[in-house]
Amino acid sequence: MATTDPAQTDLGFTDPDPRRSGPLDRLPAIAIPVISVLLAFAIGGLLIWLQGVNPFRAYYVLFSSALGTPEGLLRVMEKSTPLILTGLAVTVGLRTGLFNIGAQGQLLVGAIGAAWAGYHFQLPMVVHLPFAIVFGMLCGAAWASIAGALRAYRHVSEVITTIMLNSIAIALVDYLASRPFKEPDQPISRTPLVADSATLPFFGPIPSGFILALLVAIFFGWFLVRTTQGFRFNTVGLNPSAARYAGIPVKGTILLAMAVSGGLAGLGGAVETLGITGRFEPAFNAGLGFDGITIALLARANPIATIPAALLVGTLRSGAATLQFQTGIEPEVVDVILAITLLFVSAPIVARLLFRKRNVKQTTVTSGWGS
Amino acid sequence: MRVGGVPPTRVKATLRPQMSGAESRVGVGPLTKGHTHMHRKWGLAAAAAAAALALAACGGSSDGGDSSSSGGGGGEGDCPGADSFCIGLVTDTGKVDDKSFNQSAWEGALQAAQETGGYAKYIETVDPKDYENNINQFVQGGYDVIVTVGFLMGEATVTAAKANAGVAFIGVDQFQGEEVANLTGLVFNEDKAGYAAGYLAGLMTQTGKIGAVLGTDTVPPVVLFGEGYKAGALAANPAVDVTLVYHEPNNAFNDPEWGAAESKKQLEQGADIIFGAGGNTGNGALIEIAKAPGAGESTFCIGVDTDQFFTVPQAAKCLLTSAEKKLTLGTKDLIILAKDGKAPGGNFFGLTGLAPYHDTEAAVPDDVKKKVEEVIAGLDAGTIVTDVTLG
Repeated sequence: MATTDPAQTDLGFTDPDPRRSGPLDRLPAIAIPVISVLLAFAIGGLLIWLQGVNPFRAYYVLFSSALGTPEGLLRVMEKSTPLILTGLAVTVGLRTGLFNIGAQGQLLVGAIGAAWAGYHFQLPMVVHLPFAIVFGMLCGAAWASIAGALRAYRHVSEVITTIMLNSIAIALVDYLASRPFKEPDQPISRTPLVADSATLPFFGPIPSGFILALLVAIFFGWFLVRTTQGFRFNTVGLNPSAARYAGIPVKGTILLAMAVSGGLAGLGGAVETLGITGRFEPAFNAGLGFDGITIALLARANPIATIPAALLVGTLRSGAATLQFQTGIEPEVVDVILAITLLFVSAPIVARLLFRKRNVKQTTVTSGWGS
Repeated sequence: MRVGGVPPTRVKATLRPQMSGAESRVGVGPLTKGHTHMHRKWGLAAAAAAAALALAACGGSSDGGDSSSSGGGGGEGDCPGADSFCIGLVTDTGKVDDKSFNQSAWEGALQAAQETGGYAKYIETVDPKDYENNINQFVQGGYDVIVTVGFLMGEATVTAAKANAGVAFIGVDQFQGEEVANLTGLVFNEDKAGYAAGYLAGLMTQTGKIGAVLGTDTVPPVVLFGEGYKAGALAANPAVDVTLVYHEPNNAFNDPEWGAAESKKQLEQGADIIFGAGGNTGNGALIEIAKAPGAGESTFCIGVDTDQFFTVPQAAKCLLTSAEKKLTLGTKDLIILAKDGKAPGGNFFGLTGLAPYHDTEAAVPDDVKKKVEEVIAGLDAGTIVTDVTLG
């Protein structure tokens, strides 16, 4: 059964099993992401060199434009904010043994929900802003709960349902943005601007959305390690049978974890809409949910680690325009570097998944004593 | 085979799991067998890494080739000096060799650079949130003229123009609602071009049915093309049956599969001339029609925006003509005007027309050609009106 087979749920993040010892398990956990990033930069440097540009100069331009100017730093913070949140969304799912590929759809639904809450009402800011943010989160949570319920109560793989829900979400928000929620008197499919009372303010040069994302990341770092509910998430992720034996309601926990995951992705969409773009337009949020998967894997499902991972991706994205302008390198080189990073970061996990399946078939022998 | 399928009673009897000779396991078994396991794990990781490297290298080299062929994409970014005339172009999301707007505008910029002895450079936009940033790269680089392509960039261009009065801005296909002195919107009467194409189709159709596969009805130029096509066809042939089909707004201009499917449907319903107007979506329709039986003899397609005989060679077989917005010409003329400070604020209407017949020339009777030329002359002079309005 899908829910009881540890091979399906334990991705080896939280408990390096001493039975499965290999050279990679002897390194500290941070080594694999760092090595993956360095290798990816090396390969990216090779590609840049093949295009006739000095890779060191290219990386210098990339990082100095992103981190050396106030506008660049602002862009880094703005681009990192949704990435932290979608990274957290996928991370919470991974810790509970769920692969939430649907962060993109949940983010879109959260973004348009927050946009609607932002433009449809006129309320004082102290009420309007929290309401819009929470409404966006609830939209994302509700969207993810569809997949969560199917997984918890019908054992339908959440990988499949979340991917399918992504397609449905894209079509749904596109319809909403081009018909019922469309800003009148102009041709582009988008919602009207959200009210000022629903716009996330700046604290000096720092967008409050960024601060919010950092706080949420820290909160979940604490939640997953220090609270009872967090313990339930972790246990269900590690071994659902043991969790059930310990009295943890596995189905309810799976549903809750997916809802929380979707809520985080929805929060990412809400912050993006209310803090950065000011309205919902379908093309604005492309790829953020899928980047969350990269971030979560880079962070090895550790909520605090999503912050540096997101900052790295945000920095690369922020500097890409100047890189193109100053060196003529195609902007896609940044996406190539990130994709290679993701490939290297996932290689050990993929290997572990493939080989452990056979291990379990051997050792299921010993689970006969329980039932 | 695998011990996992064994019922519980056998558990107590066999504490050590069976190991087939070919495969070894880490787990409840002698540790020596783990050695082969580690090799296999590394082998997989190494194979994956090698595949990634090969794929990435393939992707990287082809990108490099495309950008260098257009020219002006490399070298130092900033404008070489106050004396040189620097033209900057920011594309809409998409590449500069997209066989459509971005490419036409870039070619106009290159031609203008050649004629004025200036220097042209482009930035390709990847994310619509980067519009302002990309425009600012040119502003900070000291460029004299900045061309932005596509109506989605309209707002960002207006903001940048208002903030930088010393720089000339040209917004390709951006209709200006209010006039900003240093911003010229290069716009076209798409309905006239569509009318001419529709008139030709109305005269040429053998089945009495023609069709059109269009981008989204939320973009006014597309609607003008479609309605102009319909008006022209009915003017030529009041009994003709015209079917227009629009894509959903999302991804309207990059869905060639949908375009191909819709054109196939219209062909099956008896249309023999189909107008494809919607970026890559329309291109999909054109290519599909070129594959249909009778393409170029009894079945024809009509392209849009630019002479698609050159930009979509797979459709050359059926391509009658293209409803052209003379983008390259318009961009070039405006840039040259801007150099002397003579680019007008507000809207500048560029020319439209029909592209030459190319491979299908023999299929068009002489009297039809003559009539269409008269109609185009009449549209340009204003003696023929399309009566197409948006609303």
